[in-house]
Amino acid sequence: MTTVLAMTHAGYVAAGWIATVGILGGYAFATIRKGRRLSRVVPPEERRWT
Amino acid sequence: MTTTPTETTPPAPPASSTSSPLTRVLGTLAGVGVVLVAWLGLVASPRDIVQKDSVRLIYVHVPAVTWMYVAVFLCAFASFMWLRKRTDGWDVLAASAAELAALLTGLGLITGMVWGRPTWGVYWVWDARLTSTAILFVLLLGYQALRRYPADPQSRSRMAAVLGLLLVPNAAIVHFSVDWWRGLHQDATVSKIDVSIEGLMLFTLAASFVVMGIVCAWLLVHRFRVGWLERRAERHHLDAALADRQADADPSAGVAVGGPSS
Repeated sequence: MTTVLAMTHAGYVAAGWIATVGILGGYAFATIRKGRRLSRVVPPEERRWT
Repeated sequence: MTTTPTETTPPAPPASSTSSPLTRVLGTLAGVGVVLVAWLGLVASPRDIVQKDSVRLIYVHVPAVTWMYVAVFLCAFASFMWLRKRTDGWDVLAASAAELAALLTGLGLITGMVWGRPTWGVYWVWDARLTSTAILFVLLLGYQALRRYPADPQSRSRMAAVLGLLLVPNAAIVHFSVDWWRGLHQDATVSKIDVSIEGLMLFTLAASFVVMGIVCAWLLVHRFRVGWLERRAERHHLDAALADRQADADPSAGVAVGGPSS
């Protein structure tokens, strides 16, 4: 943590990394949640991966 | 009387999600990889002599943009295959890849702007690379809008496939824009890796490419399955609506179903 705080341009570096992890993580969460909701509607035999 | 465990244990219900052994492996690798790359990129790798610590943004910006190209080409390939085969799988793959491409393009623009401020002194400049990327992003958003447009599914898929093919020349313009026009943006990083990059920086960049690839593959598999489920759910909904309508139109069917036996 001290290494990160001692950086030059720490705010920009943090913003770029947080945006990347946040956007990809948020998209993954939304996709998985949508998949779970839809899986309850569709019979298991039509879910080829199960 | 004794019962064996196999008789008493009910069969496990099928997983009600888009997960499978493949996605669990990919997800675990992605999680471990993100932690490793974060440590390498933010702590272990050295700062650049010129750009100082802002160079650490290279480990998120360049992989995002590189995999954006892959997603765009995958969308175009799946669109081409759908135009030939007209099967649900290719259509869903094209839609999934386009959504991932839009996400990565947006991410590339955001991280690029954040990197541009300490490097160039401005968040945005109408440079050829930035402008062409913004146009590609707008096209990808248009693609998403087209996919959600309430129209006949076949004609909607056909229009989306044509737009999917048109993404390729745009992606090529984005890639070669730094060679064709003089601007603020540096030359292509991937095809012309500067051999003077320090060993650990190069290793971290390579690791970030691999990890971003795993994350993208994991997201694409889940997104493809969600798209597949959407199609199936729509069909089930339609079948149920048709059955209801038939039952309404033919009251004798309702008597037969409700029947004297019930």
